[in-house]
Amino acid sequence: MAAPVEKNKNSANTVEIASSQPVVELSHVSKYFAKVVANKDVSLTVHAGEVVALLGENGAGKSTIMKILYGLYGKDEGTIRIRGEERQIKSPADAMQLGIAMIQQHFSLVPTHTATENIILGNVHGYIPITECNRRIRTLAETYGFDIPVDRKVGELAVGVQQKIEILKALYINASILIMDEPTAVLTPQESEVLMQFIHDFTKQGNSVVFITHKLKEVMEVADRIVVMRNGVVVDTVRRTETNEQQLARLMIGQEIVPSERDEALDFEQAVSVLELDNVSLALKGTSACVDSVSFAVHEGEIFGIAGVSGNGQDELCDILCGSRQPTCGEIRFLGRDITKDSIRSRIEAGIGYVPVDRYRDAMVMDMTLAENMLLKSSFSPVWQSRGFIRQKALNRYTAEKIVEHRVKATGPNDTARSLSGGNQQKVVLAREVDLGKQLLIFNQPTRGLDMGAVDRIHKVILEEKERKKAVLLVSTELTELFELCDRIAVMYRGRLMGVFHNGEKTTAEIGLLMAGVSDQQEVRA
Amino acid sequence: MVNLLTRAIMMSTPLLLGALAEVYTERTGMMICAIEGIFLIGAWGGFVGTYLTGSLIIGLLAAILCGMVMAALYGIVTVYMKQQQVVTGTALNILAAGICAFFQRVLFGVPTTPLQIATLPKIAIPLLSKIPVLGPIFFQQNILTYLAYVLIPVAIFVLYKTSLGLTLRSTGENPEAVDVAGLNVNRIRFLTVLVAGAIGGLAGSFYTVGYLGMFTSGIIGGRGWIAFAICFLGNWNPKGVVFGTLAFGLADAVAIYIQAVSGHTIFPNELIIALPYILTIVLTIARSNLSVPAKLGVPYAKEN
Repeated sequence: MAAPVEKNKNSANTVEIASSQPVVELSHVSKYFAKVVANKDVSLTVHAGEVVALLGENGAGKSTIMKILYGLYGKDEGTIRIRGEERQIKSPADAMQLGIAMIQQHFSLVPTHTATENIILGNVHGYIPITECNRRIRTLAETYGFDIPVDRKVGELAVGVQQKIEILKALYINASILIMDEPTAVLTPQESEVLMQFIHDFTKQGNSVVFITHKLKEVMEVADRIVVMRNGVVVDTVRRTETNEQQLARLMIGQEIVPSERDEALDFEQAVSVLELDNVSLALKGTSACVDSVSFAVHEGEIFGIAGVSGNGQDELCDILCGSRQPTCGEIRFLGRDITKDSIRSRIEAGIGYVPVDRYRDAMVMDMTLAENMLLKSSFSPVWQSRGFIRQKALNRYTAEKIVEHRVKATGPNDTARSLSGGNQQKVVLAREVDLGKQLLIFNQPTRGLDMGAVDRIHKVILEEKERKKAVLLVSTELTELFELCDRIAVMYRGRLMGVFHNGEKTTAEIGLLMAGVSDQQEVRA
Repeated sequence: MVNLLTRAIMMSTPLLLGALAEVYTERTGMMICAIEGIFLIGAWGGFVGTYLTGSLIIGLLAAILCGMVMAALYGIVTVYMKQQQVVTGTALNILAAGICAFFQRVLFGVPTTPLQIATLPKIAIPLLSKIPVLGPIFFQQNILTYLAYVLIPVAIFVLYKTSLGLTLRSTGENPEAVDVAGLNVNRIRFLTVLVAGAIGGLAGSFYTVGYLGMFTSGIIGGRGWIAFAICFLGNWNPKGVVFGTLAFGLADAVAIYIQAVSGHTIFPNELIIALPYILTIVLTIARSNLSVPAKLGVPYAKEN
């Protein structure tokens, strides 16, 4: 097969990719999981010195195709050529032998081991001269301008640093083809910039990067060529210089999405405050406070957003509000009443709805039916039971109504939760919580990992509830989401609120700095 | 007093070996819940091997082989077939008891007097055994005890200073990371279980070949579980295991001593026999920091 003749017209990237042989060439690769087609007839090439963005929604098959290239999954059909030669990549060991490294979306690090130990895992033999290894890793890190504490335990380090360790793992084995799966998902805007700079430097030396993402902005920033995937197939391959965000969005989704309308920010000073937190702190044994003197109020009809990189105390704060954890000190008032010591059940009965971040763990029982899941948080209510027996008919009728109302793709109330897609599961949780939360709704990253259709639906529901004068607390790591929905936004960093702002008062960059813990007063280093 | 301590060291030997085996595997995320059965079949294998051939060495090799067969079975079911470890272990413990009782009967019928074998000789280490007090306690023991002495520093070195140890420890903490690093998680776990089976079988044989010189079906009497508990007590760490074993061994020796010395005390006999077990529970609850491998007991399944 003749190598496609391509010319890089991008002036920023000086590397010429002229009629060279691709370093990676996937031809007609397909992969089937049990019943589902994960990838169908995927063909793509990566050249030396090139950044290829793999763009698509969640579940479009981007990660799967790259996991096949890295040997984590076996392919069912098709061929893989590396530097012109057909290869069978059966395990990551094979891939690494060929100079391919992949950074997983969820890092593959051992939190209880040091950075060095993580980097050399699988690449040393016999006795480990630890000081020598530390020195080597430190030198390697310095070459790329990374500053990492090589002998600290990885679990104690920030996610941005952990990602650098992941990158160093690839550099340590001299990988020339680096695959990154959603690398910016956990980073602050500033950390993302550092990453982009690294990608630029790395490819300048003739290496290649495959960048998996669903964020259009990043694609336009970093990629030379963009492969757009939808439902497991490649929809199109375009050069960055010959496309724009609108075209990419259309390719990715297959239809136009109209952003939800939102009104001008209102003044809530006069409105009734539904939820008030007064110096709420939580200190876990042996660690610094993970929620530190948090005070704010959420008013009737207001959407109050909390921005921050995940793991800065947002989850703990939500736990405290729903009642599954007791704060070490501070007071929580709900409609003026102190509920700090109230049980989870009494909070549910008072009208607090809560959509937790991990629906698999905290919001649903996957092997139960949708109807049973709807009942989950109010099984004690006389509406659903009489003398200990479940009122099955009423419950099924109610669930069927909700399925229609929230456009859940399910055959009926007796489907198991597991049989639904992630987006539809989330809609079911949302339906339940919106009904339970008569006064207050708490959302912890409600759209995490969902496709754009479901995200759109969830955003509409949140705005509808605002119209019904409910108070909404929205924790999110996506700044665009917060800017789109919220009236006020607080930034959380290491358990503390870095400030509360009206939407529009701060730019993305300013919020980003606060998310990284840099407050206004501090000198900002470039 | 010296006698008591000599006995404590001796009684600690199989527990130490068993707990070390358990440390290796639990660091890779595998609990060997079949340890009681491995002890038992090791004890039986050691006895039969020695009885039939008259050679202690063949007896010990037979014990190792029996332990490995049992461990292999456990490994296949839990690592490759991904079955629940506690359930599998319990089933295999019952299986081991059955196998030993059955083949004991097949081979030897019902003898009127218990069958006896010669036990491992006490080897006095030249010079060291002449040290007052410490000499008789530590250096007039049998070969298995000396082996245990050697295996402690070996375990510390292997686990914390070598690539093998790094791999083992990583496998228990985050098998995905090990997989992504190009290593075969299931093979690592299976081979570690196999090695632990060999050590466990040898530990079991101590009770027949090294100590009693005969086999009864109740010979292990829960000591496999004690080794299992000592691994927890020792915080998955060879040094901790040494401490845990000595605490238990000492309590065991004291219990036997009190029984022997005083026929009638104010304490009921049963309480004294229970002393080592109570102590193990108390110590396990009382220790402060826990470094349990994050993926202990969780099979590694890759979607594919």
